[in-house]
Amino acid sequence: MAGEPLVQLKNLSKTIGDKNIIKELDLTLNTGEITGFLGPNGAGKTTTIRMMTGLMRPSAGDVVIGGKSIQADYEEAIAQVGVIVENPEMYKYMTGYKNLLHFSRMHPGVRKERIDEVVRQVGLQNRIQEKVKSYSLGMRQRLGLAQALLHNPKFLILDEPTNGLDPAGIREFRLYLRKIAAENNVAVFVSSHLLSEIELLCDRIAVIQNGELIDIKDMHSLQKSQYLIVAEPAEQAGEVLKGIGFPVEAHEKGWIITTEAEHIPGAAKLLVGAGLSLYTIQPYRTTLEDQFLEMTGGGQIAEARAK
Amino acid sequence: MLKLVQNEWMKLWSKRSTWIMVLLLVLIISAGIGIMKWTHKTQNIGIEEDWEQIVMNELQFNESQLLNPELSEVQLAYYEGLVEIGRYRLAEDVPPFEPDSMQQQILNSYTMLSLVTLFTVIAAAGIVAAEFSQGTIKMLLTRPVSRWKILTSKYLAVLLFGLLLIVITVAASAAAGFFFLGIGEGQFLAWNGSEVVEASFWSESLRMVGLSSVSVLMITTFAFMIGTVFRSSSLAIGLSIFLLFAGTQVVFLLADFEIVKYYLFTHIDLTQFYTGFMPVPDITLALSVTVLIAYFLVFLIISYWTFSRRDTTA
Repeated sequence: MAGEPLVQLKNLSKTIGDKNIIKELDLTLNTGEITGFLGPNGAGKTTTIRMMTGLMRPSAGDVVIGGKSIQADYEEAIAQVGVIVENPEMYKYMTGYKNLLHFSRMHPGVRKERIDEVVRQVGLQNRIQEKVKSYSLGMRQRLGLAQALLHNPKFLILDEPTNGLDPAGIREFRLYLRKIAAENNVAVFVSSHLLSEIELLCDRIAVIQNGELIDIKDMHSLQKSQYLIVAEPAEQAGEVLKGIGFPVEAHEKGWIITTEAEHIPGAAKLLVGAGLSLYTIQPYRTTLEDQFLEMTGGGQIAEARAK
Repeated sequence: MLKLVQNEWMKLWSKRSTWIMVLLLVLIISAGIGIMKWTHKTQNIGIEEDWEQIVMNELQFNESQLLNPELSEVQLAYYEGLVEIGRYRLAEDVPPFEPDSMQQQILNSYTMLSLVTLFTVIAAAGIVAAEFSQGTIKMLLTRPVSRWKILTSKYLAVLLFGLLLIVITVAASAAAGFFFLGIGEGQFLAWNGSEVVEASFWSESLRMVGLSSVSVLMITTFAFMIGTVFRSSSLAIGLSIFLLFAGTQVVFLLADFEIVKYYLFTHIDLTQFYTGFMPVPDITLALSVTVLIAYFLVFLIISYWTFSRRDTTA
């Protein structure tokens, strides 16, 4: 799944006044991989993304994209990047097509045929000659995607991309991103605070808090195989499960055991054999939300105030 | 760079306000000439008087000016030219253009450039600031184009727009003059320092328009700077228009102090060297040009420095 390293954040820092907004971030992003960028509000997500897109100058450190430093070789580094910012702001008084024409002129080698191709890809061909002010949010989002894809970027940066999209729109957007990441071997970096969204979309997540990278996790190894078992009487069920040798945790409804699927039929037989009434055996998942709150300690606002 | 200017040009003309400005410019100029013709006709101005009487009156006034001890050398030379031309007209029987003629309207067209200043300032103030207020600046700056190129393309687009409006002003004056007044009798005369010669009114018109354009350029560049630094088009428009009117008044307040010689608005109207109206008489064209270039460079350096240095947080 993981491709080659394409983007490196090296010791990236930003100081505004005497405040360290971003503290020495180190992160590598690979081709073909979607990385989620999570963090509570004010953690520094937007500042990091602005430094990665050249909108802000790092106070120290560097962002290297495909071997080019964003500080030293800005044009060559940024030429490989497609950016979608929160609610892509387009020139509302121009048609969708003119907006794309406008941005295509800023990338060397993007031809008119490519504009038509991208328009078809995002499914805007029927409305592209209308002014952007007549577009719905979903259509603006698609146009935003189209402008980011015009120059076939190797690296896509998305800042809160699904803000304001309806569930169908979010699903479509997610499937589309997965497709281009896999087919075009693009590295994708998505910042969001919609945890459920990140959970479905990303291969791995990087968590930032108070300007520091506190965790990088692979989403596929994140989930332990756990089962919730509800049986009566509960005390006795717990005894039986412990007796079998599973790691057992108490849950408000029953017990949670950590084990692989093949051990479940045996466990069921033993519970029934012991004369217990077995109500439920179901896979148990901790949501990303639980894990996220665990990682960031939940009370980030209180913490930020205390600083 | 050409593609970037093309982009700015496309954005400019995609806004309805740009077309309205052009329309207004043409309308105001044509209406001005139309109304002038109508009032002259209803009040019988300029129809009964013969040109010799008018030239005689002007000549007397100009001769009296030559005796004015407060005039500077530049002004004396100017009135001397007028006196020589007036005497030549009477002696050789060469009438000037009638006031109600296309030629005279073209000669006067440079006075309409304050309208061009107003409209170009509006374009210049918004061309950077609007990208920030619309939020499109993030789209614009995350491209493989360095910031100074983007700013240059915007500045060039504004200059082109100003140039176009100037051409429209002269063309509209000529068209409305031809339509309402027609081609008049007369001959344009110039004083070359030693003798009176027949000259083309076109070259004189172009010279005055060219000199007035310097003022358009300076105010526009100022508005461009304010719009770039403060990212607010209303502030840039307000401040520039305010300065355009108040700036010249301040010249009179400062007239007794040495500092007036380094003040922008003392020099901004270069036509003063050819119309004799000089608020500070003892300046020269060379000094004016030097001061103007200095201000111009400062405006541009501030614009480029802030635009390429500052973090984009909009």
